[in-house]
Amino acid sequence: MSNILTVLIFFPLVAGLFGFLVSQKSIRVYGIAVAAAEFLLSLWLWFSFDMKNAGMQFVEKINIIPEFGISYYLGVDGISLFLVVMTTFMTLIGIIGLSIKKDIKNMIITLLFLEVAMVGVFVALDVILFYIFWEFSLVPMLYIIGAWGGEKRLYAAIKFFIYTFAGSLVMLVGILYLAHLYQSTTGEWSFALTDWYKLQMDLDVQKWLFWAFFLGFAIKVPMFPFHTWLPYAHGQAPTVGSVILAAVLLKMGTYGFVRFSLPLFPDASVSAILPIAILAIIMIIYTAMVAFAQKDIKQVIAYSSISHMGVIVLGTFAMNVEGIAGSIFLMLSHGIVSGALFLLVGVIYDRKHTKLMDEFGGLAKVMPTYATIFGIMTMASVGLPLTIGFIGEYLSLAGFYKVSPIMTILAGTSIILGAVYMLAVLKKTFFGPITKEENKSLKDLNAKELTALVPLVAIVVWLGVYPKPVLAPIDTSTKALVELMHQKAQTKEAKATILVSKTKEAK
Amino acid sequence: MSLTLTHYLILSVILFVIGMIGVIRRKNLLMLFFATEIMLNAANVALVALSSYIGDLTGQLFALFIMAIAASEVAVGLGLLILVYKKQGTLDLDNLTLLKG
Amino acid sequence: MEKLLYIALFAPLVSSLFAAIFAQRKKMQLVGIVASLLIIISFLASSALLSHLLSGGAVVTANLMDWIVVGDMDVKFGFMVDQVTAVMMVVVTLVSAVVHVYSNYYMEHDEGFNRFFSYLSAFVFSMLVLVMSDNFLGLFIGWEGVGVCSWLLVGFWYYKPDQPREVNPSISPSWAANEAFIMNRIADLGLLVGIFILYWNLGTLTYSEVFANLDKLSGGLMVAAAIALFIGAMGKSAQFPLHTWLADAMEGPTPVSALIHAATMVTAGVYLVIRANPLYSQVPDVGYFIAVLGTFVAIFAASMALVNRDLKRIIAYSTLSQLGYMFAAAGLGAYWVALFHLAAHAFFKALLFLGAGNVMHAMDDELDIFKMGGLKKVMAKTYLYMGVASLALAGIWPFAGFYSKDTILEVAFNEHTYGIWFVLWLTAGLTAFYSFRQVFLVFEGDERYKKYGFHPHEAPNWVFIALLPLLVLAIVFGWWKEEFMEFVTLILPPYEMSEETHHVAWILILLTSAIAIGGIVLAYIKYANGLKRDPKIENSFIYKLLQNQYYIPVFYDKAIVKPYAELSDIAWKEIDLEMIDATVDGIAKAIEVTGDKSREIQNGNLSTYLRWMVAGFIIITILAVVSVVIK
Repeated sequence: MSNILTVLIFFPLVAGLFGFLVSQKSIRVYGIAVAAAEFLLSLWLWFSFDMKNAGMQFVEKINIIPEFGISYYLGVDGISLFLVVMTTFMTLIGIIGLSIKKDIKNMIITLLFLEVAMVGVFVALDVILFYIFWEFSLVPMLYIIGAWGGEKRLYAAIKFFIYTFAGSLVMLVGILYLAHLYQSTTGEWSFALTDWYKLQMDLDVQKWLFWAFFLGFAIKVPMFPFHTWLPYAHGQAPTVGSVILAAVLLKMGTYGFVRFSLPLFPDASVSAILPIAILAIIMIIYTAMVAFAQKDIKQVIAYSSISHMGVIVLGTFAMNVEGIAGSIFLMLSHGIVSGALFLLVGVIYDRKHTKLMDEFGGLAKVMPTYATIFGIMTMASVGLPLTIGFIGEYLSLAGFYKVSPIMTILAGTSIILGAVYMLAVLKKTFFGPITKEENKSLKDLNAKELTALVPLVAIVVWLGVYPKPVLAPIDTSTKALVELMHQKAQTKEAKATILVSKTKEAK
Repeated sequence: MSLTLTHYLILSVILFVIGMIGVIRRKNLLMLFFATEIMLNAANVALVALSSYIGDLTGQLFALFIMAIAASEVAVGLGLLILVYKKQGTLDLDNLTLLKG
Repeated sequence: MEKLLYIALFAPLVSSLFAAIFAQRKKMQLVGIVASLLIIISFLASSALLSHLLSGGAVVTANLMDWIVVGDMDVKFGFMVDQVTAVMMVVVTLVSAVVHVYSNYYMEHDEGFNRFFSYLSAFVFSMLVLVMSDNFLGLFIGWEGVGVCSWLLVGFWYYKPDQPREVNPSISPSWAANEAFIMNRIADLGLLVGIFILYWNLGTLTYSEVFANLDKLSGGLMVAAAIALFIGAMGKSAQFPLHTWLADAMEGPTPVSALIHAATMVTAGVYLVIRANPLYSQVPDVGYFIAVLGTFVAIFAASMALVNRDLKRIIAYSTLSQLGYMFAAAGLGAYWVALFHLAAHAFFKALLFLGAGNVMHAMDDELDIFKMGGLKKVMAKTYLYMGVASLALAGIWPFAGFYSKDTILEVAFNEHTYGIWFVLWLTAGLTAFYSFRQVFLVFEGDERYKKYGFHPHEAPNWVFIALLPLLVLAIVFGWWKEEFMEFVTLILPPYEMSEETHHVAWILILLTSAIAIGGIVLAYIKYANGLKRDPKIENSFIYKLLQNQYYIPVFYDKAIVKPYAELSDIAWKEIDLEMIDATVDGIAKAIEVTGDKSREIQNGNLSTYLRWMVAGFIIITILAVVSVVIK
């Protein structure tokens, strides 16, 4: 299976096309089967992955337009491997937990197409290919929000699409300029990321390109002040849309920072630490406050996503192995935890068709299992040790402490403010007496919902206690990444800030 | 005083401006058509004059092409004009607003 | 030995998971029995470890597995049982075992019986992780773990509604639980920062390596690390200004208050300072600050206990006050004395709380001591138990508190910090007074409860047998002071009293005993013959001030909670929706309007089109001419 990555990308595509032939009744089973097969394939990828190798693995390269150096170029390393696994996993969970009744066939096919784009983004090493997948991922999500969303679904869908699209276009200009630069430096065209890594650029050029890429990624993350599309998208999207959006699509932005911004423009990245850290800290504190003010549970979690993404961005720009590896781990943990929280909100939305906290209260009494799982996910979300949420948050903050203690303390308020808004949700929704008569007859989780949620709980605990299988490959590849950045860095400041780890060998 | 290139070009510009003013001011489609012809011929004058000045026949060749196209254009164009007149009953531009966005 | 360590550590976890399986079922007596047995097993294993160390055995260490290995960071699940840990383990598991057994009685009619044991055992596990870990991050696991268990247990009766502060100062169990969690989180940030400082400057988080390399830290960093770690300790041990959660945490079931909010979790801060003694002995200024803060908290909390009417809150304030004593000792460098008082306090305070649990049970969960009185007739055994615990708390010879508290006062005297000595001495008097005010109001005097229609009953005999270990230890623990000192100073720095202190020691003892006995006598005169309320005093400013906890909770509410909520609302409605999102929509709107306006160009009139064409032509011509001219 040397072209496993091609299989991973195109299997859902082919299966999705065949899905049109499957009857409405059996499409659900079909969807679960396809997503499960895809997940197993990605697990196979993980098990046959060489943990000691920091470079790209399972590389495939076919020239498409040799004149311009555009090729079909795929590969994974420790940084992207788990994002792929998480993508396939969350898609599977999303399809299992699917609760919509309308046009379920279209939904499942759309989800499979979305999976194609998401896996593609994480494994593409050719920048044009990356860009195609990057943009292609918008279309299914646009459809999901626009077709199955709430009342203001069209507004939300169009806002989501145009906003992120506008950012990507600026990035495209950056990509084209960078390709041109590569051509004029080396004399030949190439869009291969691994070739671009070798390119040395002037500091001015780096800066311009950095901010061009930044805009594309920052809107996707979404970083303050480009975040306002997210609450609308989450507010209107159906449960499965929110799960995928929070778990995977947002991670594309932070993945872009790690994959593109840092290694391509190390000097510019170092000089951008201060403004980005300030944005990240605003993002952490400000959105945590906004989250506290929300009345709708889903909006709380949407804003909390932004707040957590701030910690991820901060860790990424720590410029040392601890911070970057921590932020990558946090991407995974946030994907699992926020995905689970959105699923959980979907559960009561299906029962009561409202997400307002005032409509609930005392639910722990009528839905104990639900409350327990919600509690576990809350604790993971606020970063309790021995849950998945702690490790990434701790490492990100620890990494950034090296850059600036004061800013780390400010960013560290996320562990306080996170507890404030999440515990407020728990208190208003689950504790106290049951205020509404009709809530007394609410049913606890059914088998379908449990099948979707229990694996997430298991992962939250497993990776919190024993993160090594995931952390080790991330560590290896991050060390190589930081090494590369250190080599490329031109200014003294950048050389000093980018901290190469003393421990070379992965244990 | 002999005729120099400048004179021809000035004539060409004058003709072109006359044609352009016609394009702007005229409200009748037929008159507009004539104004366009004048502009085309202004270009022809410039092309021929420059061609003989540089000593390159391409310009005159091009002028011949333009004349040929102008002739066929008149044929097709006038035919269309008549059709428009038959359908709309007028050739006044202010009344022909089918392209309104 | 490693096996014993794992048994001691994981028996509570097994107990918790076992109980969790049945958490949603109706009460099962089996769960309570199994959980209690497993905790007793943990206690026996801890005792075996202690006796191994007592007989001169080596420190037991164990490495379970890797946890976080990234970059240069290498954190393992490493455990270590040295003398301090062994003492903590035995104290924790002993009190836990008693509380587990007692809970079989106290929670017998509660529908969440199984769930309760699951949480309680999870707490014991977390606490053991906290004390047994051999590195700071492992300590942090336990630190947060006990925080969550405390949150779960304080909010155990989550279904109770919120009440106004005037009716119930703790508002509701779920409110109190959240308050405790969030306040602890504030402090945890400090602890985390301390960990970051140590990691980036020393490259390790293991105690032994950190303390061996302390000289690599510059003075400023050492002070910063010491302060950051102490901020963490302030949260867990509820030191001012993060103290309000402890009294509110009394919303939890009484066994929880006994175990978590008196004997074990709240002493974790003291444990941290004791554990990090090599660091704190290098920065005496920080140590002095800790001592002063501890002293302040001691008298501050004691003053609030003087007028309170709530059975459990009085004991909570006394816990707070005693924690102040421990910090005073630790801050002055007498780490072993702090540990000694920690252990003694754990025994008699747990006993006191569990006795109070008996009273509550008898009085249908009534907490107002003004509504009790004369209970000695029906609850003689509880009277005895609580009386002994209160004597120990008041520091009367020969009970445990006498030895530990007196040593702290001697230390304060020995350090020539007479201010601290005086305040602590005064507090000893207050302690004796409020403890016995409570005891006499509950057990002596007229039977006021009859008016309110209560029918009190004594707890069954087996409960008192279960409490017997605590009773015995509350009496005899102090007698082992010398042995205790020799044992723990194997790893803690010894503390020698000067010649001069030795000479005046008997005077100090006499003074302390005098004020303590004075407090008891005063309480007896005032309260033993029934409750005589004096409205003049009760309406005085000071009385009101103390009763309302110096208005600090109200102040926090008004100065922090409310503004934060309002600011959040502004951030959302005014900034996020009105400014940022409005800008985004504004840009979109501007583009739309531009398009709408420019639509008028396309009015269908050919002559307009031609004019635009000509205009375009002219512009292009001008641009061409200009570009030629410029070149």
